[in-house]
Amino acid sequence: MALGAGPPIALEFPEMHTFLQGTVGGLLIGGTYALIALGLNIIFGTVRVINFAQGTLLMVGMFMTYWLWALGGVHPYLSPVVTVPLLFGFGYLVQKSLVAPLFARERAREPMSVLLLTLGLALLLENLALLLFAADFKTVQLDISLRTFRVGGIIVSVPRFIGLIAAGVTGAGLYLFFTRTDIGRAIRATGQDREVARLMGIDDFRVYNVSFGLSASLMGIAAAILVPFFYVHPAVGTSFLLKAFVIVVLGGMGSMPGAALGGLIVGVIEGVVGVYVQAAVAQIVLFGLFVGILLVRPTGLLGVERR
Amino acid sequence: MSPPEKIVGWVLGGLVVLAVALIPLLTRWLLPDDNYWIQILIWILFFAYLSASWNLIGGFAGQYSIGHSALIGIGAYTSSLLHINAGLSPWLGMLLGGVVAAAVGGLIGYPCFRLRGAFFSLVTIAFAEMLRVGTELTDTVFGIEVNGVRGLLLPVLGHRPAAFQFVDKRYYYYTMLGMLLVVLAVGSAVKRSRLGYYLAAIGDDEEAVASLGVDPARAKLLAMILSGFFTAIGGTFYAQFILFITPTRTMSLDFSVQMVIMAVLGGMGTVLGPVYGAIILVPIAEITRAFWGGSLQGVHLIINGALLMVVILYWPQGIEGWVRRWAEGLVRRIAARVSPPPVVEAVMAANAPVMVLPEGTLLPTRAISGNGEPLLVVRNLSRQFGGAIGVRDLTLEVRSGEVVGLIGPNGAGKTTVFNLITGYLTPDTGNIWLAGTDLTRLGPHAINQLGVARTFQIVRPFIKLTTLENVMVATLPRVKGVAEARKEAERYLAFVGLSHRANVVAGGLSTGERKRLELARALATRPRLLLLDEATGGVDQRSLPGLVALIQKVRKEGVTLVLIEHNLRVVTMVADRLVMLHLGEKIAEGTPEVVVSDPQVVEIYVGGAGAHR
Repeated sequence: MALGAGPPIALEFPEMHTFLQGTVGGLLIGGTYALIALGLNIIFGTVRVINFAQGTLLMVGMFMTYWLWALGGVHPYLSPVVTVPLLFGFGYLVQKSLVAPLFARERAREPMSVLLLTLGLALLLENLALLLFAADFKTVQLDISLRTFRVGGIIVSVPRFIGLIAAGVTGAGLYLFFTRTDIGRAIRATGQDREVARLMGIDDFRVYNVSFGLSASLMGIAAAILVPFFYVHPAVGTSFLLKAFVIVVLGGMGSMPGAALGGLIVGVIEGVVGVYVQAAVAQIVLFGLFVGILLVRPTGLLGVERR
Repeated sequence: MSPPEKIVGWVLGGLVVLAVALIPLLTRWLLPDDNYWIQILIWILFFAYLSASWNLIGGFAGQYSIGHSALIGIGAYTSSLLHINAGLSPWLGMLLGGVVAAAVGGLIGYPCFRLRGAFFSLVTIAFAEMLRVGTELTDTVFGIEVNGVRGLLLPVLGHRPAAFQFVDKRYYYYTMLGMLLVVLAVGSAVKRSRLGYYLAAIGDDEEAVASLGVDPARAKLLAMILSGFFTAIGGTFYAQFILFITPTRTMSLDFSVQMVIMAVLGGMGTVLGPVYGAIILVPIAEITRAFWGGSLQGVHLIINGALLMVVILYWPQGIEGWVRRWAEGLVRRIAARVSPPPVVEAVMAANAPVMVLPEGTLLPTRAISGNGEPLLVVRNLSRQFGGAIGVRDLTLEVRSGEVVGLIGPNGAGKTTVFNLITGYLTPDTGNIWLAGTDLTRLGPHAINQLGVARTFQIVRPFIKLTTLENVMVATLPRVKGVAEARKEAERYLAFVGLSHRANVVAGGLSTGERKRLELARALATRPRLLLLDEATGGVDQRSLPGLVALIQKVRKEGVTLVLIEHNLRVVTMVADRLVMLHLGEKIAEGTPEVVVSDPQVVEIYVGGAGAHR
């Protein structure tokens, strides 16, 4: 039964309305998921390692954003001016001083121990944050935080909508960076064939450093998007990281368009399953999808097998 | 080790176990109330056990599972639910839980193990988190009370050994000690078995293992099944010890990470490493908990995280090597005192060559024939990478007993051809036959088993194994036992002239020696067809004639050869026939003299440089 001046879609197809609400909600958060997965894929695509500290870097970005707001009154949407360069430097240093030595030592193309190293880094940073900031759920209350608007009866949260736009703009910016700049092209070339890239005069370790920095700095943007409507907590990175894993496998390990597509798909699945059953069940559905993709198409939807 | 050293080693080991077994008696005698201390000792044994179980797949095979807590949860819940609902003794439930976890471990491992490294880590962590969330949300399954996030309280029965419940903690201590000894014994047996050699090699270089006729996915799957079984049994112990299980605790990321860190610190892939890791890290966690307990949680995790990074960066071999060298020194000193080695033997041992085998023993190849039948037939083979062409419409025949040289400039598709023949790549179109058997869709290990061996452009020895062990990985699949595999491997090392380097870790070999080692390894699979990818590439001028002579020696043994070679002088000397590739297509074929004077070939090799200007 529709109440009052209900929207036309809801009047005629209440089921359709629920479905659309779930889809839109999923798309809105999916953009941010895609951004985090992009961060993982920039590193996987070039350095060919998994960064287990990606979620933790997001957490660090969120705390920086939070404190900038709480102590300095900086609006979260302005915080990337500070967080992006800081995180870039941090990521750059992590690769240069921690990951690169492992490459040199193991003489392996894809040293697996990087996975354990970044796991250690994640543990360290996450529990350091727990020690410093306690296990409280911190939230930032802005005048837009709870604001919504309606499109054809679908409720759209304003900060989430802004987030999707911002993620889209960031993605477009990355696309231009990778296709139009020398360093962007160098990163792509190294990802395709590092030996040949090296022969062409590309300093592959510098490319790795920049990739790590770039990937970390993206977490500053993701943090700015999330903080207006998401809690800040030392363990906030883990759930985002796990979703990002699902996304990169779904979209294709190392594929940038794959991360974007996968992020939106995962967001929508989560949104739709969330409105029908409950959000936590969505996680189980996502895992099923994850294993299914690994079995049927391990290269992912848009992944390309490499030489 | 000499026999007296072995005896001393066993006696010392036995004494250590005895001492560990006596600790609870000592604490009872020394302390008025030793419950707390016994509990800590039990945790040390428990984590040593868990970490040793993880090590079977994580350390031995280098497949880092970050979701082993899911298996703990499966064990704890299986035995507890069976106990509460069906009255089944946890002793039996424990085995069932182990079987369930082994099956689940196999199921999540199966899709990942066909892929490389990182996927497995991603899947295990995702699986553990989702199983945890799923259990937290589940109150009943088919009418069985699971009780979601609140967890299960096991009925307290007092001292009931048949139901795996004790009042005196010492019983748990001895139970766990027994379990730990079992898992260590299993680890030690695996390590010395065929599977152990495969796993160690897989940890170094999985693709190279497949080229030796070993199915890496199968070896990893076996290790995962073993690991899952023992991990789940640890879960039952946990449930019976605490008598209260929640998904949040038993399936926690914390448990998973602890297992990893203890094994890494102790020494990954070693039998005893996890024990040392637990001896150090459990007390650290206890101390920080005692000092900063409620107010500052997670201090021990900060330490763990930092330790994990430091150990990976600066001390990747962990504690074990250090303890082992010390223990071996002790054993030697004691053995020398108990029974000094006879002088003559000692001198002989010092001067003995590592192996006395005539070089150039006949290789027992499968098909020693030069009858000119077509052995390898390649028809219309094509393969693209994205939009780029790797190989286009290649047709090729290699007759048995022949030596064919594959030449062409960089990027001509030579290595791609090898990768297609040996199953490292699948062709888009076309077919490959070996003596009438279609190889086109087979995997690398299956193709090797049919008689095709290869070497790699950039040599890929298993750098952590010794030279001899490297070759053993290739002989193990086709002989009865490890001892026989060793004897076989020695023959191949002698053939390539590396006997004197048998016990050197392969990471310490020179490039020329590595090339020889890889050749020995490939030959040890008894190929009918051997593909050599730049057998002389990157080798210094002095080693070159020796390698060329070796290739000719291989040929005399009747092995059919295809070589990729940049050095035209070498290839015209060795090959009967040359095939020239350019941009993925065959542009010339024939005797070396004909091909080398082909105007197109000359144009590409010589004129090509001119075209750049």
